[in-house]
Amino acid sequence: MQTNMTRHFTVNLCPVGYIIQFHAMASPCEIIIESNDLELANTIAQLVTTETWRIEDKYSRYQKSSVCSQINKSNNSPIDIDKETFELLKFAEQCYQLSDGLFDITSGVLGKAWHFDGSGNIPTSTQVNQLLPFVGWDKVSYHEKSITLPESMEIDFGGLGKEYAVDKVCQLIRQHTNSSVLVNFGGDIAVTTPRKNNTPWTVGIDLQGIEQNKKVSISFTQGAIATSGDANRYLENNGKRYSHILNPQTGWPIEHSASSITVASSSCLNAGIMSTLAMLQGEEAEEFLTENEVKHWCFRE
Amino acid sequence: MVINLVKSINMRIHTKTLSLYALVIFSVLSSGCSSLGVEPWERNILAKKEMLLNSSPIDSSLDDHIYFSKESSSGGKSFAGGGCGCN
Amino acid sequence: MQLTKKTQSKNIKQLLTVATCTLLGTCAQAEEFKDWKFDTALMYYGETDRVTATELIVSGTRVFDNDEVLNLKVTVDSLTGASANGAVAQPEVQTFTRPSGKGDFTVKAGDTPLDDTFKDTRLQLNGQWTQSLNSDYTASSGIHLSKEYDYLSLGLNGSISRDFNRKNTNISAGFAFSQDTFSPEGDIPIPFTQMLPKNENGTTSANRLKSSDDKKTFDLLFGLTQIINRQMVMQFNYSHSQVDGYLTDPFKIVSEVNQLGITQSQLYENRPDSRTKNSVFWQTKYHLSHSIIDISYRYFWDDWDIKSHTIDARFHVPLSTGYIEPHIRFYAQDAANFYQPFIVSSNPQASYISADYRVGEMTALTLGLKYGTTLQNNNELSFRIELYQQSPKSNGVEQPGVLKNIDLHPSIKAIIAQMSYSF
Repeated sequence: MQTNMTRHFTVNLCPVGYIIQFHAMASPCEIIIESNDLELANTIAQLVTTETWRIEDKYSRYQKSSVCSQINKSNNSPIDIDKETFELLKFAEQCYQLSDGLFDITSGVLGKAWHFDGSGNIPTSTQVNQLLPFVGWDKVSYHEKSITLPESMEIDFGGLGKEYAVDKVCQLIRQHTNSSVLVNFGGDIAVTTPRKNNTPWTVGIDLQGIEQNKKVSISFTQGAIATSGDANRYLENNGKRYSHILNPQTGWPIEHSASSITVASSSCLNAGIMSTLAMLQGEEAEEFLTENEVKHWCFRE
Repeated sequence: MVINLVKSINMRIHTKTLSLYALVIFSVLSSGCSSLGVEPWERNILAKKEMLLNSSPIDSSLDDHIYFSKESSSGGKSFAGGGCGCN
Repeated sequence: MQLTKKTQSKNIKQLLTVATCTLLGTCAQAEEFKDWKFDTALMYYGETDRVTATELIVSGTRVFDNDEVLNLKVTVDSLTGASANGAVAQPEVQTFTRPSGKGDFTVKAGDTPLDDTFKDTRLQLNGQWTQSLNSDYTASSGIHLSKEYDYLSLGLNGSISRDFNRKNTNISAGFAFSQDTFSPEGDIPIPFTQMLPKNENGTTSANRLKSSDDKKTFDLLFGLTQIINRQMVMQFNYSHSQVDGYLTDPFKIVSEVNQLGITQSQLYENRPDSRTKNSVFWQTKYHLSHSIIDISYRYFWDDWDIKSHTIDARFHVPLSTGYIEPHIRFYAQDAANFYQPFIVSSNPQASYISADYRVGEMTALTLGLKYGTTLQNNNELSFRIELYQQSPKSNGVEQPGVLKNIDLHPSIKAIIAQMSYSF
């Protein structure tokens, strides 16, 4: 992935103030600042892009030099990790525990059998079963300073990397300004602080692929929003739609999962994990979110 | 002036009738309430701890004790009994 | 997978929030997840020249796995100072026996007689357990114990509540029962007998009925809570209470005066041995764009002919450092049918008489301000100050002779200062 070539940012005027745009984590990213201070916009642009690309370089499995890739190539030898990585692994473990194993960052290897390209090519049971021994957080051992990943296993921070970046970047922005800033990394959104006069920010969820040309508008004054969806990542075979949300314990997609779930919460990580957990509930996504008293929008085919 | 107004109203209302009114109002209110309310995801404001009906239970406890000792009325938000030798 | 079970789902949200906070390094919500949460307060109550009290409360709450809640509370209070004993002021110095019968005290001319015997420390323990019975029903039960030198109160309570209408409506019913035993120093006096100065051998048993007595209180409380809209919630309560037993105050007396208003004797008061109380209560909390209004009204009535109105309003205003909350309370009560500020010798006596201003007609006003803030360690600190003024009123009876020039209903001012700390 030629990340370096796409590593630049733009700062432009917009109705609210300034908009910073750049590309990261395979998504279009934008930062909207409610301020007329160009110098502030430039400073924020520098800080945010530096931090976002730092996280991408560290945790993207697509980058050969990333910590993630190092761990995935380790072949059962311990790899030294720093505090940030340790905290992320701890967080992933807690998500694994509270989801009873459905949220598992070692489930990425199943991607060798499942290619969600909209075609009808579903793998055979044998193909899936061959990969199952290499899935399971319980097989990972780690502590504060190092992690040991058994051979042929892989970890993938994709399920929380973007949301983590959004929340970290928000913290960074809050240290530099009290102006309201909206951070939007490809649909994972957060607001640093409410706008003047509590005017809400309005964002649209793109439901392309689910409902033609439909955009849902969400207005909120603070907090974060994250969306889990399979608008473009699915397989269809014999009239059955297979979403890209796989159950790591069986190796097969969750049945009757919603097409798109958007969740609002206090932080982007919270919203993101909740929407992923909801997707993992299949049919009971809405019930799960309602019981947890979490604001949500579910869309089904 | 308020006391005199209150006194004149009170003289016309018999105690037993008042209890009956209270119970009737209660049942009417309970049945008429089905149209009011919010969806679970609209509870962000109501969920704040400052929006609890008894948001400072320690303050209420201390105040109830003072007013139970210095005045003749008790009850309302919680049980009317006092449990101390102050009144 | 059990994620959809109601009892588990609250844990998921909480666990996830804790995990996120730990990862991001900001734990604003962390306090919710400690095992025990404590609320403590220290309060000082001081009337001008009269009673002062200090009260300390330590309350601990723990939420268990299935959302069961246990609350344990310890209260210690200490009372000193003087309280009106019910006698009328006179244009010359008066001498009174202490209620215990041991010793006496003098009162200056024109002053309202105050007895300062009341030095007492009280310890109270409360325990309350709340849990859901199924998805709609919640039950709660508790006990209390209160002990001071001459008083013991034991009680228990229970209540049940049900949610309706997607938890927008809640109806509850509860009961409470307590048994109080009272063994005043100097024993229970015989009503309407004279308060005698001590005789040579220090005995006053001539006017004593028995050494202790008790009372039973039975309460019922019905409540309806309704969410009106996203910013507003309301509550209506009806409560009914029956008290039976010794309801007289053994330390209070009524002055018997002649036509000239001169005190002839001091008689122990007497109140009925039962009391039926009722109240209706309404409260609303409304969230404006940033601040919250909390307003409530209570109407109370009983079979002693006491009726009262209480209006209470608070305005919670968030600030950058915390919040301030101004408070105003207005109270007005009618006199009990047996209230008499004094007895005129020639008048026929009633079976129940009390000159205690607290069962007389009065209005009271409280003005207060509270300031609260969250500290660096996410614990909360708050300060509250209130000014409370009671204005007893005459029941219209003509004040004979010298009593015409004496204020028999002085107002009582008190200051309340409190500091609270929650962690």
